[in-house]
Amino acid sequence: METLDVVSRKVFVANELGLHARPAARLAREAQKYSARITLLSQEQEVDAKSILDLLTLALGPGCAVELKAQGEDAQAALERLEQLFLNRFEEER
Amino acid sequence: MAVHVIQGIPVSTGVALGRAYFLNRGRARNIPRQNIPDRDVEDELQRMDQAFSQALAELEDIQGRVPAELLEHARIIDSHIMMLQDPKLLESAKTYIRNMQLNAEWALEKAVADIETVFRSIEDAYIRERIQDVRLVAGRVQQHLLGESGNSLRSINTRIILLAHDLSPADTVELEVGKIMAFATVTGGKTSHTGILARAMQIPAIVGAADLEESIQDGQLIIIDGLQGRIIVEPDEEELASFTDLKYQFEEYQAGINRSSHLPAETIDGYRVKVFANIELLEEVSSVLGNGGEGVGLYRTEYSYLNRLKLPDEEQLLEEYQDLASIMFPSKVVLRTLDVGADKFMNHFGSLDEANPALGLRAVRFCLHHMDLFRVQLRAILRASVHENISLMFPMVSGLGELRQVKSVLNSVRMELKREGVKYNPEMPVGIMIELPSAMITADILATEVDFFSIGTNDLIQYSLGIDRTNSFVSYLYQPLHPALVRMIKYVVDAGHRAGIEVSICGEMAADPYCIPVLMGMQVDCLSMNPQAVPVIKHIIRQATMEECKALLKDVLASKTVGRNNKLVKDSIFRRHPSELMFYSSLLDEGY
Repeated sequence: METLDVVSRKVFVANELGLHARPAARLAREAQKYSARITLLSQEQEVDAKSILDLLTLALGPGCAVELKAQGEDAQAALERLEQLFLNRFEEER
Repeated sequence: MAVHVIQGIPVSTGVALGRAYFLNRGRARNIPRQNIPDRDVEDELQRMDQAFSQALAELEDIQGRVPAELLEHARIIDSHIMMLQDPKLLESAKTYIRNMQLNAEWALEKAVADIETVFRSIEDAYIRERIQDVRLVAGRVQQHLLGESGNSLRSINTRIILLAHDLSPADTVELEVGKIMAFATVTGGKTSHTGILARAMQIPAIVGAADLEESIQDGQLIIIDGLQGRIIVEPDEEELASFTDLKYQFEEYQAGINRSSHLPAETIDGYRVKVFANIELLEEVSSVLGNGGEGVGLYRTEYSYLNRLKLPDEEQLLEEYQDLASIMFPSKVVLRTLDVGADKFMNHFGSLDEANPALGLRAVRFCLHHMDLFRVQLRAILRASVHENISLMFPMVSGLGELRQVKSVLNSVRMELKREGVKYNPEMPVGIMIELPSAMITADILATEVDFFSIGTNDLIQYSLGIDRTNSFVSYLYQPLHPALVRMIKYVVDAGHRAGIEVSICGEMAADPYCIPVLMGMQVDCLSMNPQAVPVIKHIIRQATMEECKALLKDVLASKTVGRNNKLVKDSIFRRHPSELMFYSSLLDEGY
């Protein structure tokens, strides 16, 4: 049964240089694997998590809080996976 | 005389002479602008799609050929691929074709310009500069639209000096390291990939050289002077001779200061000063010792707290501090307690909306606010202090009241350990950073209750002159030799010495060759700096005489303006330290 509820989760940017080009690329690439509509919400600005350019314009600095939102069939799985990426700093060293 | 001399920003030191080789990438020039008839819209759209796929195929090919030693730098190529695949860029360009009947080339320019507008308003300088990546990606597409073949770096078979509007990581992957003697680019700042790459390759590089494309032709003989940030086009015989001299001298100089870096920092007339290093990672210890650092004057303990999912526990901290102390033993190690603002800790403490974090809950204030966290760190430091080379230092203390507050916490932790029968060194020296004007002016009072002072010049300058040096509108006011600063630092040094305690300097001033004679004149006990600066600072001290440093200080104290001070200092460097004058550009502006 498909759920159209929006699921969301609060995450933090742990990378030292913020969500710069490489982490943004990781995030967008990963988000594109899901059919759900996935967005990032920060300071009343909501952008498409599948677009690296959108992600960069959000200019998330180190320590920034951001809300991860997903809607669609695989929304829950997408959220889990993307939260994991935030937690491990997108596999960057620092 | 040379045909041209171009000034840029040096990002990697050294000098090179060679033939210019332009890489025709980055922003393509002379983009044609046309309005197209309705019937051609479909064709233009198709042309755009095709150029994007060609650029993508190219990048994917390059990505597959990345040599191992450049793998880290090349990871950015993945971001470029994502940008090419990003519907935002392609769709926005195609919308301009559809709705405004623009030709593909101009439509792409418009789409990039839109993205630039958004990026320009980004406050974070690092992320803002990523617009360069968008431009590079668009430049590659543009090249296909314009039908340019582009001169691939792979076709180069002689050693050259690589010039470009901007150098993309994809470009640099294609180059064979041994063939490039130096880089220069039109765009870029201190954080651009070009600088990082050049330093990794240990070749000179200059960025931000505005007139590069207009002033240099392919194949011209040019000199890249990475010491001063100059590019000399078609040097004459005299300039060539002086280049050869410079190159030889620079290599000799570097070898010389590295050879003598293990010698003590003692002036010609026998005044000895300690030269320590500031570090934040255990791994940097090898660099401290290798460069001749005589101790760790500032260990920034925050690193093990940041970028962690969980706060470190007492045992982890203890192990870290013990490792540091035992590797450095018997040299001194100064552990500075956590110096961060609340903004860095949102993962663990939730968000604090501070209008002005620099004047907010940071350093000891933050620690006093999060007492549990503070006590854990103090327990770890005290337990590690059985290694008797450890000292403790509190950052950003504002006055005696606050000092007593943090010391009472320290005492209560000592009591706790005593009750538990855990060993620690009761004699561990306890000092404070002097980085607030309030602490500076009460230094005589503070000196009676601490074992040492360390003057953090970076913060002291910012708080005293009321400027944020990262703010480009006011960064020109960042003046280390402002008469106010010179008097302040002198006052703190004297107050410390009257109370019989040591005073060290641990800001960037301590690593600036031009500031050393003034600081020496004040008879500071210790200078602490980034490990790479140790050899040159030791060299300067070993060439100096205390007599001259004192005379210089006297003149500086009598002067009324920064401009005069900077001039006095440059003159003294000119007289006593000609090599440093030649190999280091002064950070001191002329000023008023």
